[in-house]
Amino acid sequence: MHRKYELVYVVSPAATDDQVSELHTQIEGVAQRMGGQVEKTENWGRRKLAYEIGHQKEGTYVLEVINGSGELMKEIDRRLKVIDYVIRHLIVRVDQDEHVVEHRRTKRSAASRRRRVARGLPPERQPGEGQRGESGDERDEDQDDRFDAAEDVR
Amino acid sequence: MNGRRSSGGGRGRASKAQQGKDGARRPMFRRRKVCKFCAEKIDDINYKDTKLLMSFVPERAKIVPRRISGTCALHQRKLRTAIMRARQLAMLPYTSE
Repeated sequence: MHRKYELVYVVSPAATDDQVSELHTQIEGVAQRMGGQVEKTENWGRRKLAYEIGHQKEGTYVLEVINGSGELMKEIDRRLKVIDYVIRHLIVRVDQDEHVVEHRRTKRSAASRRRRVARGLPPERQPGEGQRGESGDERDEDQDDRFDAAEDVR
Repeated sequence: MNGRRSSGGGRGRASKAQQGKDGARRPMFRRRKVCKFCAEKIDDINYKDTKLLMSFVPERAKIVPRRISGTCALHQRKLRTAIMRARQLAMLPYTSE
């Protein structure tokens, strides 16, 4: 079962660039050994932390997008916990969310296309057209009711 | 029973009562709040998008409640998970100071 995960880890500023790249090759190696692969890597460089972690005020952020199984991510998680110059890391599964977002986007564009055709317009929005569609007003009315109720509580 | 329903008196009364209430409680004009994510059609609230999340985390670093920001329930929920993830990675603060 292949899933898509995002891994972000924060490396202590005390670590050298070599150590950061070595970490990346290590993760890649683990991924390959366990039947996954690293799809994308992004080094965000050194950033200021929002709060101090172990008296560090900065950290190097690295993002990796990994295709693989849950066992692989478990192994990577375990390894990152052991390495002491990785001060934070986060693993998030993203394939399901991406699917939902995609679905919503296609649904919305299809709906707008249908409405536009029903109104006798070309299906795509022309440059220089107004912002509001006919469906927008309906939605606004719904929200208006809700806020009235909220004000009553206060 | 049928006749009473067809008269539709209940509906009319309700709307009248609401009008009266509005007049009493809301003398001044208040801008209608709209969920930012619905209005701008932002589908995916991502923990990496610090700039967007920052606008919902004021100085004290607490998440702005729905009643203030006007975010809809669905998007507030997604916003919350995104902010909590960003906090874990020290991209956003838990508290100030």
